[in-house]
This record gives sequence, C-alpha cells and structure tokens, in this order.
Amino acid sequence: MRILVVEDDNLLGDALQAGLKQAGYAVDWLRDGTAADQALSSEPYAATVLDLGLPRMAGLEVLRRLRQRGSALPVLILTARDTVDDRILGLDSGADDYLVKPFDMGELVARLRALVRRASGQPAPTLKLGDIELDPAAHRVSYRGRPAELSAREFAVLQALMLSAGKVLSRTQLEEQLYAWGEEIESNAVEVHIHHLRRKLTPALIETIRGVGYLIKS
Amino acid sequence: MWHNPSLKKRLLAMVLGVITLVWLGASVWTYFDAREELDEMLDAHLTQTASLLLTQTTHELDELETEHAPQLHKYSRRVAFQVWEQGRDLRLHSVNAPQQPLSDKDSGFSDRTLDNHRWRVFSAWDDSHTYLIHVAEQAEVREKLARGVAANLLRPLLVALPLLAILLWLAVASGLRPLVGLARQVGRREPDNLAALDAGSAPDEVIPLIERLNTLFHRINASIQSERRFTADAAHELRTPIAVIKAQSQVARNAANTAERSHALDGAIAGCDRAAHLIEQLLTLARLDSVETGSREPCPLRQLAAETLADIAPAALDKGVQLELAEGDEVTVNGLPALLRVMLRNLLDNAVRHTPPGTLVRVEISASNITVSDNGPGLPEQELEKISQRFYRPLGTEASGSGLGLSIVRRIAEMHDAQLTFTSASTGKGLRATVSFRLP
Repeated sequence: MRILVVEDDNLLGDALQAGLKQAGYAVDWLRDGTAADQALSSEPYAATVLDLGLPRMAGLEVLRRLRQRGSALPVLILTARDTVDDRILGLDSGADDYLVKPFDMGELVARLRALVRRASGQPAPTLKLGDIELDPAAHRVSYRGRPAELSAREFAVLQALMLSAGKVLSRTQLEEQLYAWGEEIESNAVEVHIHHLRRKLTPALIETIRGVGYLIKS
Repeated sequence: MWHNPSLKKRLLAMVLGVITLVWLGASVWTYFDAREELDEMLDAHLTQTASLLLTQTTHELDELETEHAPQLHKYSRRVAFQVWEQGRDLRLHSVNAPQQPLSDKDSGFSDRTLDNHRWRVFSAWDDSHTYLIHVAEQAEVREKLARGVAANLLRPLLVALPLLAILLWLAVASGLRPLVGLARQVGRREPDNLAALDAGSAPDEVIPLIERLNTLFHRINASIQSERRFTADAAHELRTPIAVIKAQSQVARNAANTAERSHALDGAIAGCDRAAHLIEQLLTLARLDSVETGSREPCPLRQLAAETLADIAPAALDKGVQLELAEGDEVTVNGLPALLRVMLRNLLDNAVRHTPPGTLVRVEISASNITVSDNGPGLPEQELEKISQRFYRPLGTEASGSGLGLSIVRRIAEMHDAQLTFTSASTGKGLRATVSFRLP
C-alpha cells in the first residue's frame, strides 16, 4: 500500500518515511506543495499525510485542488497548527483526519489504517474473504484459522487484492501500489508474489485474467 | 497625611490663608491711615477750638465768674483747656485741666504727659498778646478711634472666614471633579484592561497626564501582545523538533536492523540539537527583549569580527564554506560587546548555514558598517524583507535553523541605534547583510 508523505522538514520527513515503511507501507516523500500536487494527480496512493506549512504551495491548497479533481483519497493533515479553528478549517477543506505535532507514530499508522479501511468501504478492522482473514493492524493473515507466514510484499499484494475484491488489478496497478519511487522493481516481482501467495494459502485464491491482471472473487 | 495632604485641603488652606493675610494687611494699613487722618482732623479741631476760645476770651473773660467751664459731653473729660493771662495767671480752665500749664510751649502743637495721660496740646496767644491759651486733648482718644476703625474692618472677617471656607470647599470640590472622575475611572479598571482613558471633559491641565497614561497603556499593551505572540510562536516552533525526536525514537524502537536503528537515533539526536538551538535562541531573544541598557563601552568591531570568525571557522570548514575578513582599519563603536558578538555570530552562522559548500563568506568593517556577504545562491527580492521576521524561514531552506537568528541580529542592531538591511550582493549573486551604525 503506497502512501504519500508531504513534509518540508528533513528530519521529520525522514522519520515519517521510516516509520510508515516499518508499518508495511510503500512511502513517497515530497518536500513541497507543487510536487505533491503533481504526484497526487498522477499516482495511485492509498492515502496521504499532508503538512500545512509547505514551500511553493500551501498544504490546504494542495488539498483543495485534490478535492476539486474529484479525488476521494484519504488525507491526514499532520501539522503544528493546533487551534480549533485550524482543525475546523483543515477538515472543512477536505481532510479526513487531523493530527497535531508532536504525534505518536503508532497513532498515525492506526489512523491511516482506519482511513484506508473506511475509504474501501470495509466496516470491520479485519478483512475477511471466504476462509482468509487479514488483520492490517497486526499484519497477520490466517487461512482457515491457521496463521500464514507472509513477507511484507506478499501481505501488501494480498491486501490490495482483498481491498478491491471482485475487481481486476493490473500488474502495473499492483506495482504502483507496492513500490515507492526509487525502489527497484524486478520485472516479474508481482508474478513471484502471487505465486507465493497461492502456495502459502490456497491455489484457488487468486485468479489470473490473462493479459489483464489478477483478481480475488468477492 | 501630612506629607500627602489632599489637593482640596491644600487649596482651601492656601486660599483662606491668602485672604486672611490680605485682610489683616488691609486692616493694619487702614489703622495707620486712620491715625494719620484723625491726627490731622483733630489737630484742626484743636486749632479751631483754640481760636474760638481766644475770640471768646478776649471779649467775655471779664464777665466770667467761675474758674471752671461747664462739661457738656462725655468726651469733654478728654478735652481740656487753660487760659492764662499774661502767661502767668490761670484765668479759666476746664474741670479736668490741671493747675500747672498744659504745655511749656506758647505756640503750636506739643505732646505732654500729665498724670499718666498723654495729651496733645495746641497753644496760642491772642492778638493782643494778653492771653495764652492751651487747648489739649488726650492722645488715647485718637488711638481708640483709629483702633475702632480697624476693628470694624476686622470684625466681618471673623464672620466671613467660616462662610468663605464652606463656599471655597464646595467650589474646590466642584473644580476638582474631573480629577476625581479620572481617579475613579482608573481605579475601577480591571488589571488587564489597557484601553485608552477617555480624555472627554478633562481640563487642559489633566490632559497631558491622561495622554501620558494612554501612551504608557499602549506601550504596555504592545509589549504584552508581543510577549503572548512570542510565547505562542515559540511553543509552535518547538512542536516540530519534538515531533522529530518522538517519531525518530519510535522508528528506532521498531527498527529491524542496526543500520536502520542508528539512522533513526541520529535523526532523534539531530532533533534534540535543533530543539536545544531553538531554545537557546529563544532565551537570547527573551533576554534581549528585557535588557534595554547596560554599560556601553567602546567596542573594536574588527577585533570582535576576527574573534567570531575564529569561533565559527571549524563549522565553516566542516561544511566547506570559506571565511574572509576584509583588510581595513579598526573601527570602534560605543556598545555592548557581548551583544555585538552575538550579533556577528548569528550573521555568520546564518551565512554559513544557508549557503552551499564552496561559498565564500566575507566580513567587511568600514567606518559605520558591518557587512557580511556571501557569493551563494542569494534570495529573491520579496524574501529579503521577510527574513529577519521571527520564525521566518525562506522556502527550500534546509530547515535546521531556528528562524530566530536574524530577529536577534535585528534586535541587537536596534539596541545600538543601528539598522539591519539585506540586499542582493553587488555581483547579483549571494546575499549581503549590512548593519549600519549611526555615526556619532
């Protein structure tokens, strides 16, 4: 799952990137508003963490433009501005959540999880599909009650497919959701992950639509 | 209360005192004036009486049997006369006149004391030089009359004074009402109410006081506002370094390997350094805000600059920034050397911090200017105005500064009556900070 972090502070951006990676997300980190605006209009992110005081384009402006384009992308504002008025303005400008610095990394990750879950229309914190249960918070997957050992990438592929169950995801779409910029993508990485998932869980789990992509039936 | 008598009491005491004094003076003057007038008038009477007596005597004395003239008025006891024939035989005298001559003079006025009474005597001969006449009047009469006149003037004062006191009390009270109103207006205020006082109907004398108070209120208010804004800004600015420390620490705790952990810990330490730097700068600025004066002394700018350059040299070399102090003579300004050092340090720190490696930072000391210039990328015009504002960081800067350094420089410059200006370097590249001291 790919997250965009927009933060102009070098040390904080670095920490956010590292912390979110630890939580299993692929993270892109941008330092200014204009770059964030461009990235948001072209890349398929699962959510974004947005600072307000940004160079070149203010965070709220980035947010307004995002909503004007009709995007429903979950946006969490992470800022030092703590007044009630600021929070109201942020939420009314289209943010889904508002967190004030200094923050707890665990809380930030939990909020992002909740945002992503709600955005995909999932009421429960764990994803359930047939015999498979996926717990995003604990990063655990079980098949018929038996826990399965999955790598972070395999987990991410499974989560992406489960979140859009019933829909076909192309290899490129999956890659875009799995990898941040600058990360090395091996040509057949997605096929390898799918192969591992079928072996570790059940071969019938993921269907391949040739020339189109992959799908988990709902 | 003796040291701070009320204005009302003081005014009253002064006005009553002046009235009493003037009135008493007038009475004394009247007394002496009356004495003089009475003397003249009564002397005239004496001569008149004498001439009457003389006329009488020359015609009718032979027919008079009695030696004594009759007493006709209460004051007659105080008036006496004698008629001496040839100056030797007492032919006629009033009842109260003694047997010996009233005066030893035989013409004009004289003053005599007889039986403990002072007499004013007028003596004259008749035309034929047969009879010598002494007409006398007790001097006490004149005294009494003059005193009576003066007393008549004083008596109303006794009645008038209390009455005046009451009326003046009321008048003064009414005159001072605007002051009392002002005092009440100030007294009723909440301690944090620093709104201007209403000069409204205040008298001219009080308006400067109100204006001064209002100026004071305004200044206190401004300083409280800036204090509050500063505290808020400071708290706000501290959030980011603390967020860094917390986030990096949590990343370190969850790190999967040593490299990741030590990277996060380095980040946390850098965050601590930044918070410490910010706090130090905040304290410097807060101290500057409260310290207005200190003992000024001649400060050799070139020497201070050289010392500061030496201090900062290691950090500059680490970053690959070159430092240079331009040739020139020593310049001395009157100031606070510790603060000037802080100012130079911040200017140089800023130049080193915000320029890329390979930049040359040059300090020039001229007659009234300290100039710190660099040949780095510089700043767009619209940013030049803003960079010395508190917490302002130009876009795209590595946000490791506190955003306070140039506020500190500006504040210290202000304390030295100097001006801080930022311009683009003359080469069109780089930033030039100039502190211009006012020439004595």
